[in-house]
Amino acid sequence: MSELFLQTRTSSSSDRVSAARTDERGSTTVSLALQIETPENVVLNYQLAGPAVRITAYIIDFLVRCGLLVAISIFLIVVGISISPYASMGAFLVFMFLLNWGYYIFCEGLFRGKTIGKHAMGLRVIQEQGYPLTFWSAVLRNLLREADALPGLFTGVGFGVYGVGFCSMFLTRNLQRVGDIAARTVVITERSVILPREPIILEKIQPLPHTEIGSYVPPPHFLSMIEQFLGRRFVLTHGRGHGLAGILAGSLAKRLEFRGDRNLVEQYPMAFLARVYVTFLHYQEDKEDEEHPDRLSPGIRRRHLMTTGELA
Amino acid sequence: MNKRQFVQQREPVWQHFQRLVRKLGRISVRKIPSRDVNEYSRLFREISNDLATVRSRGWGTELENYLNHLVSRGHGTFYTAPPGQLREVLGFLTSGFPRLLRANIWYFVTACVLFFGSGAMSWIVIQNEPELANRIIPESQLSGAKQMYAKRKPGEESGQNGGFGEQRTLMAGFYIYNNVGIALSCFARGVLLGVGTVYTLLFNGIYIGAVAGYVVTQADAERFLSFVIGHGSFELTAIAVAGMGGLMMGATLLHPGPRTRLQALRERGIDAVKIGIGAAVMLVIAALIEGFWSPANIPAVVKYIVGTLLWGVVILYLAVAGRGQ
Repeated sequence: MSELFLQTRTSSSSDRVSAARTDERGSTTVSLALQIETPENVVLNYQLAGPAVRITAYIIDFLVRCGLLVAISIFLIVVGISISPYASMGAFLVFMFLLNWGYYIFCEGLFRGKTIGKHAMGLRVIQEQGYPLTFWSAVLRNLLREADALPGLFTGVGFGVYGVGFCSMFLTRNLQRVGDIAARTVVITERSVILPREPIILEKIQPLPHTEIGSYVPPPHFLSMIEQFLGRRFVLTHGRGHGLAGILAGSLAKRLEFRGDRNLVEQYPMAFLARVYVTFLHYQEDKEDEEHPDRLSPGIRRRHLMTTGELA
Repeated sequence: MNKRQFVQQREPVWQHFQRLVRKLGRISVRKIPSRDVNEYSRLFREISNDLATVRSRGWGTELENYLNHLVSRGHGTFYTAPPGQLREVLGFLTSGFPRLLRANIWYFVTACVLFFGSGAMSWIVIQNEPELANRIIPESQLSGAKQMYAKRKPGEESGQNGGFGEQRTLMAGFYIYNNVGIALSCFARGVLLGVGTVYTLLFNGIYIGAVAGYVVTQADAERFLSFVIGHGSFELTAIAVAGMGGLMMGATLLHPGPRTRLQALRERGIDAVKIGIGAAVMLVIAALIEGFWSPANIPAVVKYIVGTLLWGVVILYLAVAGRGQ
């Protein structure tokens, strides 16, 4: 989803009140990125949850609550017939009250900011400062649900239209409804993340011979871009992947003053990119071992200066 | 060092940290061995450092996302709120709540004026001119109220009592569902600049006052008053308290002081919700009294004495509990 939005740097400590924000170039963008600076001086990135997933989570929770209500009704009808109808009706009303007002508080308080619906949609409520939801915040944000849910439809079963909530979400920068603002909470999307694997088996790929390339050295972030592209090459169809890689490979061959087989660049651009990657992977190590550029041979020194931007 | 070597070197540490986070998430804070705490805090800073390294060198978003996820999980575990304890709940009810109420006493006074003031007015008006009651309350509810508190005929007492006893649990459940719900939404709607709260307070004040005025003149006044006095102490006060919580939020939005309105709401929100929860607890007590004590077949004099005592308890609790700590 994040690809739909342009990401800009934001800071959670300031208190501007708009989901739209202005970036360095002066253009206004909408972003789901939330950045929180920890006491360790590390900026953590979170992905805010948009209205669509939150509605879905709400509907799932609503169905769960209805299911619980039906289950308890059946149980209490059975008990009521055999023991006391009035007592079981009283218990039913108490249960309905708890379900209306306590379901969210109970779930979010107990499961660290998750309800069943939020869990299904991969959402979690956290404090604005990044730490887990506290008890009083859970109580506050869920009691204020009543105000957010206005205009309420069928309030007897606790279902609302959330007109106030939506207006508030669209007016605040972190997509907070009124209850979120008061309780200082945000709803984020949580994804399970695994350590990325190496995209290619490096040992099987030949580096480009030094005689075939010039003195240009791609900067490290350029190499990691190639690495990520290769890592995600299965996402694209074969033709599309090669088409995209061809553009990059062509201009890269020009920058490198590549004098080898043109066929490699044109027919197998991905293989070419992989070979460029492997070539400079080892080159980088050599460079960083040498602390003083003065001691390098003239050719390498020129490359070094070019990467640091002194010679442009 | 390049990215590949970096990942190879650090990966075991990351895996270890992930296991540690999972382990610490499972056990209670008190049971975590000090060795783990030390190790955790060291690893957490190391991994924060790794994340900064990856970012500054531009080593790719996937690796960055992975470490970001790891650090945010660690951050959550490290700065987690202490688990709630029964002692804290009791502390809140015995001293925290009344102290908070006294610290914001003028909101309580305002809510009382709105609720009891409008109630008293409509009571006086309706008692003097009972025919005005149907302007406020639908005819069907009026006749229902009249029947409920109708003068007892001789010999009716025992027969009716059996039915009432059966219904007590139902009525207690209904009072919890209805009254606590009203109080909580009275509180919650305060966030809309206090308008919802003022409306709920006035509406309930006028309605309850009108019912009282009508029943006192048209039905058995003693039966009604002896029924109401017991739980009224908790119930009526709690409605005013819930309104107070709503007014605190409304007032902070209208008069934020040297802050933005949203900041002001953030600062006052938690205090307000504590008041709201205090009101809810009081209403649950009221519902139990209303369901089980108030309809009991006990001489009216006893009910008056107990009711007065309960009013004393509520006033003393709000005025004195938690002082001098």
